[in-house]
This record gives sequence, C-alpha cells and structure tokens, in this order.
Amino acid sequence: MAIKRTSSNSLVNATKMSTGFSSAAIPNSPTIGSATAISDVAATVAYTAAVLGANGVTFTATSSPSSITGTGSSPITVTGLTASTSYTFSVTAGNANGTSAASSASNSITTSDLPTSYESIATVTVGSGGSSTVSFTSIPQTYKHLQIRAFARNTSTGNDVFSLLRFNGSSASAYATHYLIGTGSATASGFNGPSVTDMFSIVTWGSGSSMNSNVFSAGIIDILDYTSTTKNKTVRTLTGVDGNGMGQIDLTSGLWLASPVAVTQIDLLVQSNNYAEYSSFALYGIKGA
Amino acid sequence: MAAGSTYTPIATTTLSSNQSSVTFNSLSGYTDLIIVSNSKNNTGSNYYLTAQFNSDTGSNYSSTRFQGDGSAAASTRYTNATEAKIGYTYTTDFTLGIFQIQNYSNSTTYKTCLSRSNNASQIVMAIVSTWRNTNAITSIDLKMEASAQIVAGSTFTLYGILAA
Repeated sequence: MAIKRTSSNSLVNATKMSTGFSSAAIPNSPTIGSATAISDVAATVAYTAAVLGANGVTFTATSSPSSITGTGSSPITVTGLTASTSYTFSVTAGNANGTSAASSASNSITTSDLPTSYESIATVTVGSGGSSTVSFTSIPQTYKHLQIRAFARNTSTGNDVFSLLRFNGSSASAYATHYLIGTGSATASGFNGPSVTDMFSIVTWGSGSSMNSNVFSAGIIDILDYTSTTKNKTVRTLTGVDGNGMGQIDLTSGLWLASPVAVTQIDLLVQSNNYAEYSSFALYGIKGA
Repeated sequence: MAAGSTYTPIATTTLSSNQSSVTFNSLSGYTDLIIVSNSKNNTGSNYYLTAQFNSDTGSNYSSTRFQGDGSAAASTRYTNATEAKIGYTYTTDFTLGIFQIQNYSNSTTYKTCLSRSNNASQIVMAIVSTWRNTNAITSIDLKMEASAQIVAGSTFTLYGILAA
C-alpha cells in the first residue's frame, strides 16, 4: 500500500484517498465470500467490494489451481473447471488504472463428478443352489433404454441353450426372435416365432457338457425404448461362449408383440434347467436427453 | 432399487507414433471393462488386434468369431492361442472395435470377452474369447498379430462399469 506525505505532514493511505477522489486510483481488494460448486464444471464465488472500490470496477474470480477466471458481480460464476477436482478462488478488482491485490483465498470446493447417462440399477448373482429364473422387478421408468450384462452358465446336461426372456411376467404367445449363430465352423440363422411364449437372449452351456466348468458365457442384452406405450418392444443381444474347441457367438433380435405397455419386469429363464452358481446379471439404465 | 452412475472413463491413449503394444493397468474397482478402439496396422496385410491378460503369453486363450465381408458369412475357431482375438485391422483405414471384458475381477471362473469389430469398407465381425485362468485381470496388453505395429493416430479408451 502506497504512503505519501501531505502538506500538513500527516501520513494517509494514498490509494484509499485517491480511490475516493481521483480517477487515477487502483481499487482496493475485495473481501472474499463463499465459493460453491454448482456442477461438474462450474462454481460460484461471492465477494464484498471495498467501500471505496466498487464504482466502475470489474471483479474477477480466479481459481487455484489452473487460474480459470470468471467476471461479474457477486456471486461470480466460474466455468470451465474440471469434474471431481478441488479448487479455491480469490477475487481481484480492476479498472483502467490497474488491478488490486487478490483477496484472501476462499473455502475449498470440489466440483461434482462427471455426469453420466449410464446407471447401475440392480444385480442378481446366483447362489450355490442355482436358480431357474432371474427377475428384475419394479424397474424404474426414468430411463430411455435398459441393458443387461450377463455372465452365466446352466445346470443342464446338454450343450448350448438360449436363455428365455419375458416381460412383465407375461408368458402369452406374443414373442418372436431372429438369431444368427457362428459355431466356429459354420454360420446359421433361425427364427423362433411368430408368436411364442418367450424371446431367445443369451446363450448358456450346461454343466453336464464337456465344456470346462469354469467357462461362463457372456451376454449383453439391450432393451430399447422400454417405457413406450405406443411401440412394441425390441431387444438385441450379443452373446457367446468359447470353451477352447467348442462354443458359439450369437446375435439375436427379439420382439414383444403384446399391446404396447412399458416394461416394468424382466424375467430370464433357462430352458427346463437352472442358472448355475456364480452366474450374474446386472441391469443398467441409459438416460435420454 | 438403488441406481448409481457408472460407465466411467479410466484411461485414453492416442498413439503419436507406431507402437507394438498398448497397455492398461490399474484396473480395480469395477465389474466389467470396456475398451473402445479405433486402430489400424502398419503392414500391407490384415491382422487381428489381440489382447493378453496379466502378461500371460501362454497358449491359454481361445476365440470363436463370425463375420460377414459383403459376400459371405463365415465362422472360425482359434484354440490354444497365445492371445484373445479382438477384431480385424487393416492398413488402409481404421477399424472400430468395442471389447467387453465381463466379470474380470472374479477369482472363480475363466474370463469371457465379447467384441464387435466394424470396418465399413471391409467387414463386420463379432468374437467371443476365453482366457483359461481364474485370476482377476490386472493388466491388459493390446497388440497386433505377427508383430505388426499399431499405427500412429490409433486410439484406445478404457471404461469401467460397476454393478449395483
């Protein structure tokens, strides 16, 4: 702070004196207020202008780290921050004559996590007794699409068996599936329909087959526009299992032909058998804009 | 039912020069992993992009694929291989791939992976691969077959999905 001697030989704060009476002065430093994170990329910073420093002055909030700035009146919004990152802020006041010293640092804030449109809803893991059916009930109606990620094996004595997929507990003859299979040596395509009691989805192999019992199939089931009350529901699956000499890779396209209603329940079943221990099924929701 | 945000970006690599491999590690904390790739190789031939887990170079991998090349569909099996097949790459244009490694951290079962590989001018392909090992996957090495290199500009992004 500059000090000067007056004609009366008293010492005064030159900056403060000139701020009030001269256009050639630099404003005083603001007093920092609270900083608040408002999103994954933005925060607000409050301040109080010095009594003799508010007129014709631009106030700038600066982040630490990264020196990202925002200007305006209190509270200043600072954008362009990084998600999940901690910041403090200081505020300066500037005019045509220069910029004040920075205020003290604000409280520390942390920006929120990066928003995502993909959320985990529920998981079912099959216990030692096995399970004939895996169900997701009371499915939230707040997403655009659903995805089930499966890792499974069955307890049958046979080889490949498709899991069966049903909606809303309905076993009415209102499902159909087209599928494409690669066996490792040939390809095949088939149709299960036009009006059967379930859709084909992920493939599983049986514990009684010659495939090693540590081999589980993988499957990803996408259920599109599941809350629509005007469209039949379509389902696609990518699924496969490889047992070093046996197995298959499959694509399916399923349709629920019932009078269009929102999907509130999903049932996965193994044909006449159980899902084996350690099979797991995770349901995810994908948001729309 | 409680919902939690997931599909978390973990790491991204864009090659600034040709490389023989890309490695991801520090993989813990998720249920499934997804690698999204956009890659091509530096040879005059077509090669698989492959994966090895936990630096295992033994003959402990197998894959089954099917594909359509615009004129025919076919399916092929690879047994006792030294790497898991992810997708086919070319030298003329980039191939998109999505590689799904499910339940990768369990220590009970072998690991099963699904992949989709798309090259609009060449082929569409899906592959299932198994790593015959019950250990949790802690590192992933991505390589081209036959010591081909992954060319500069290729990108690989790793995501983690955590089930509720």
